Amino acid sequence: MKPRLTLLTWVIALLVAACGGPATTAAPSGEKVTLRLWSHQNAAFQAGNDAIIAKFMEQNPNIEVTYETFEYDLFIQTLQTSMPAGTEADVIEMFGTWVCSYAEGGRLMEMPTDVMTYEQAEGIYYQAPLDGYYCGDKLYGLPQEFNLENGGALVNPALFEAHGVAYPPKWSTFSDLVADAAKMSEFDGETMTHAGFNYVTGDGLPFAVLAGILQQGGSYFADDGRHFNFDTPETRNIIQLLVDMAQKDKVVDPVLFNNDANWVGDSFFAGNVGIGFVGSWAAGEGRINFPDMKFDYVVIPPYFGSEQRFAADSGWGKVVSVNTKHPKEAWMLAKFMAAEQESALAWNTNTSTIPAMKALVESPDKVLEAAPWLKATFDLLPHGQYIGDLTDRDQLFYEIIYPHVLDAMQGVSSVDEAAQAIHTEANAIVDAK
Amino acid sequence: MTHMAIPAPVKTSAKQGSGLRVGQRAFVFSAMTPIMAYMLFFSLLPIVWAVTLGFFDYSPIRAGSGFLGLGGANPFVGLDNYRAMFAETQPAHVFRLAVVNTFTFALIVLPLNLAITLPLAVLIESIRDRLKGLFRAIYFLPTISSAVAVAVMWGYLYHPQQGLLKTLIELVGLTPPKAWLTDPRAVYFGVPLAMIAVIIAYVWQDFGYNLVIFIAALQGIPHEIRDAARVDGANPWQEFWSITLPLLRPTLLFVCVLTMLSSLQVFVIFQVMTNGGPRNQTTPLVMSIYENAFRYQNMGWAAAIAMVLLMIILAFTLIQFRLLRTDWEY
Repeated sequence: MKPRLTLLTWVIALLVAACGGPATTAAPSGEKVTLRLWSHQNAAFQAGNDAIIAKFMEQNPNIEVTYETFEYDLFIQTLQTSMPAGTEADVIEMFGTWVCSYAEGGRLMEMPTDVMTYEQAEGIYYQAPLDGYYCGDKLYGLPQEFNLENGGALVNPALFEAHGVAYPPKWSTFSDLVADAAKMSEFDGETMTHAGFNYVTGDGLPFAVLAGILQQGGSYFADDGRHFNFDTPETRNIIQLLVDMAQKDKVVDPVLFNNDANWVGDSFFAGNVGIGFVGSWAAGEGRINFPDMKFDYVVIPPYFGSEQRFAADSGWGKVVSVNTKHPKEAWMLAKFMAAEQESALAWNTNTSTIPAMKALVESPDKVLEAAPWLKATFDLLPHGQYIGDLTDRDQLFYEIIYPHVLDAMQGVSSVDEAAQAIHTEANAIVDAK
Repeated sequence: MTHMAIPAPVKTSAKQGSGLRVGQRAFVFSAMTPIMAYMLFFSLLPIVWAVTLGFFDYSPIRAGSGFLGLGGANPFVGLDNYRAMFAETQPAHVFRLAVVNTFTFALIVLPLNLAITLPLAVLIESIRDRLKGLFRAIYFLPTISSAVAVAVMWGYLYHPQQGLLKTLIELVGLTPPKAWLTDPRAVYFGVPLAMIAVIIAYVWQDFGYNLVIFIAALQGIPHEIRDAARVDGANPWQEFWSITLPLLRPTLLFVCVLTMLSSLQVFVIFQVMTNGGPRNQTTPLVMSIYENAFRYQNMGWAAAIAMVLLMIILAFTLIQFRLLRTDWEY
């Protein structure tokens, strides 16, 4: 029995050793340090990061950076499974809205003040993207992207011209946009084949609801700043507007055009949508995938009143893992990638994303040379406010606001029911945490 | 009178009792150890981990304070995750809907699959040998296709604007549904149209597997029994009902259990075709587990749902074993 036990113990020990993560040893000063950087898989993002990493390694010959990418869903899963095991990369490209969850869970390293203070960062970045990295009075990373899902839309000049609609569009009010969109909807019998205005997406509807509330002078947060207040006239008004556009103006059929079927990016670039409500990043992707299609990205008027106000997610940026064995070098890399103006420019032009860095927007020539459609969005940026701590942003957006507004648009529930359900279920998430 | 000498039983040691020599034992041990270690690490430990997580409010994005990150920010909650399944909250509502969807799917797929495969197997078995292989290959082809490819293909067939089904239905003068996969108001006999559409695609892909098993089982039934029935005057229907079907009971059990298992664990085809919509009408339990674990980072809650699914599968399997078991062989 004893030899068997010994053998079994050895086998198990070998397996445990094999299952363990790669050991990252702290290098004494002067020795070469290897850092790992993770990001999601996207050709444009990889090109952006590659260019900066090469330059960083040139300037820091004692630091080797290994860049690993993962398909988007796999990236999230890998983060979640590697962090408890302590095998995640030293520097991670993370979406700003996720940062506080990971930071408060003890997975991310607070940014040392000698790297940058929040006050210094405020001078460099727009508030909306920066605040995604600022949790409980601590800074946990640096943003590279101002993620804008609201305020702009893709427009298809061919459909405008085919329906005798003035192009480029000159919309003074949101009603002007709806009137143009209604002219571009096409039907085959009862079936809508072309949508004048497709805004029915998992991000589009929630962002429209939040912006609609803000534009009426309301707030979606309750007085305690944690709970939500969606059972309000402002919420009902914006949902009613979204419902009316579908049911009365027939600019979109929400059964045929939604997040799961004819998604706005796909249907727009297939030529089936006149105006597509989506973030400007979709234009960058469209330029690569549909190089022959002519399109523009334009600002849409506010839903209510004349003043643009909207809530913005924080975009992609760089954070440092709490498990890194080389924090000094990891923060050097993160800062080099996100806070050096030339790096930020290289990253934003490669990825066609809106810069989080104010200087690049204030002197926009180089960014606009690479992504001219971003010009429309630059005037909007000062009107964006950080979306705030939504407790569980994805659950609020995709499980609560989107499905309930979609129900109302599809006639499955009323506007009142949708607003009440959003209010109740959103607050239930807060209470459950 | 003859006396038979019965030899006294030879006393054997425990080691001799195995009937294996030392070298053989070493071989068995070395052959079994890797697979046992594999099973231990990749099957048993994950199950133990999942059972444990079901008692914690665990999220991988929070660093807990205790052993393996359990405790502290990932606190022990006892049976709270299981109690929460009966609460009036959105996650509990989606969970209960997922249970109903999973049952609906499995309970339609199983009889539908059997209703297609069993007669088809009898039909194929009755034709000439040369054609049997051809038909078997044709019907088996979808089974070896990628589930994602099948889902995408059926998604195009169901496309509400350019789909082949729409065109065919209009050709025969009927009105097709407005949208096969995205209309929450389209419900037939209490089953959402989107669910029906996915079931059709799933059965199309899956039935070849059972068909091949049934054909093999039919070929294994001794001809003598059928011949005897014919001699006794049984017609083809009586022969099928009274001879073939009872003798297929062990195969039926096998097919039922496997089909039920795969139906209860279905995921890919739903994710690609409907992503759980419309209004969660096609969200099965496995998708709910996946979404909660990896999208919403509620791994404790997801683990509790996984335990419920395990119990459901166990119950179904035991019931099927009980109903279809046989204590004979031929």
